[in-house]
Amino acid sequence: MHHLSQDSRHSRSELLQRAVVAGGALTAGAVVVAGLPKLASSAPSPAQDVRVLNLALLLEYVEAAFYAEARAKGNLRGELRTFAEVVGGHEQQHLAFLKKTLGGKARAKPRMAFGKATTDPDAFVAAALALEDTGVAAYNGQATNLTAGALAAAARIVSVEARHAAWIRSIVGKSPAADATDSPMTAAQVLKAVRKTGFLRS
Amino acid sequence: MEIDLTLDELDPAGAICEAHENVHRDSRATFLRKATVGGAALVGALSVVPAGGSQSANDVDILNYALTLEYLQASFYTEAKRVRALRGKAREAAEVVGAVERAHVQALRSALGSAAVARPTFNFAGVTKDQRQFLKTAVAFEDLAVGAYKAQAPRIRSKPILAVAVSIHSVEARHAAWMRRLFGIVPAASAFDDPVSKPEATRIVASTGFITSSGKTEREAEPRFTG
Repeated sequence: MHHLSQDSRHSRSELLQRAVVAGGALTAGAVVVAGLPKLASSAPSPAQDVRVLNLALLLEYVEAAFYAEARAKGNLRGELRTFAEVVGGHEQQHLAFLKKTLGGKARAKPRMAFGKATTDPDAFVAAALALEDTGVAAYNGQATNLTAGALAAAARIVSVEARHAAWIRSIVGKSPAADATDSPMTAAQVLKAVRKTGFLRS
Repeated sequence: MEIDLTLDELDPAGAICEAHENVHRDSRATFLRKATVGGAALVGALSVVPAGGSQSANDVDILNYALTLEYLQASFYTEAKRVRALRGKAREAAEVVGAVERAHVQALRSALGSAAVARPTFNFAGVTKDQRQFLKTAVAFEDLAVGAYKAQAPRIRSKPILAVAVSIHSVEARHAAWMRRLFGIVPAASAFDDPVSKPEATRIVASTGFITSSGKTEREAEPRFTG
């Protein structure tokens, strides 16, 4: 058994992460239910599916626009360029699927600005990594709030986001799968993470 | 976006973001440690799920099915590690992924208690002795696990079990992408991953011939997971 104190540089974040893994998976749904009555009620319902899928739609809007701009700018080379092309195509399909599913209830496309993240390879990698990992955590965090039908659809997307996350991590030499489980995020945490990118302008 | 402002106030001090970012700078030793310690946390998460008969028969069946797939994967990576035929990044990936799959086995066994199925006997027919064969098999196993968990998720009745299952599901997808890249194929082949039904997964596993018996004594012959 390895000891937690072996590497103090990581100990705090690891403890936090483990706390999330241990507690987050079980409490995420309860936190959403207790703290966010507007976003989630006590039991899955079609109305709640709409709210959850709109959260996913926000992420997909950002991801799709981010990769589209990166491809248009044409600054990426090698595997990063391939990554942006392939993943960008997937995100466009996720976006189209969610918009079609939500129909008139789909949220509006936010205004976005990506700055150097779509032209500077290092900034692109950092942003792609944050967006993809957040996407995985966002879908996972909402799994217990969805009806079975919506969950089946979301499950087809989340594993692709996880593949994207692992891919970009692998390209830059970071662990593609950092733990035995993926920590979920609540809706509030997802929004905070998306805002932290600075990409949202509305 | 006034709803977002309300949500923002409820975020717990950005602790998750910080944890998230720090994960990005890891040494291999740290990956392995996280895999094993994370496994312990997973056992903890599943242990609050009432074990040994308190779960619905439906969920016990699903957990045992997941356990069988995890046995298959864990034994495969454990054998690859013992055989020592892998090099470089493939060896590193096999070690990390193997530790995670063993953690999944431990967590599922712990949750199931006396209801857990025994570990079958495996014969991987030498695929762990050749790097290309190993990677090809790893890709097949990981892609299968992704599809299998995906098909079961909407069928799980218990919310705590579902929460853990989806958090394993996406890790299997990360493994699949990792192994695919090492094998030299696109890590994410399409925009949507398809579910794989239990009969289909069972047929695929049977077709490999890797499970030689569902013998109950094999578990004692296998090295125990020690964290």
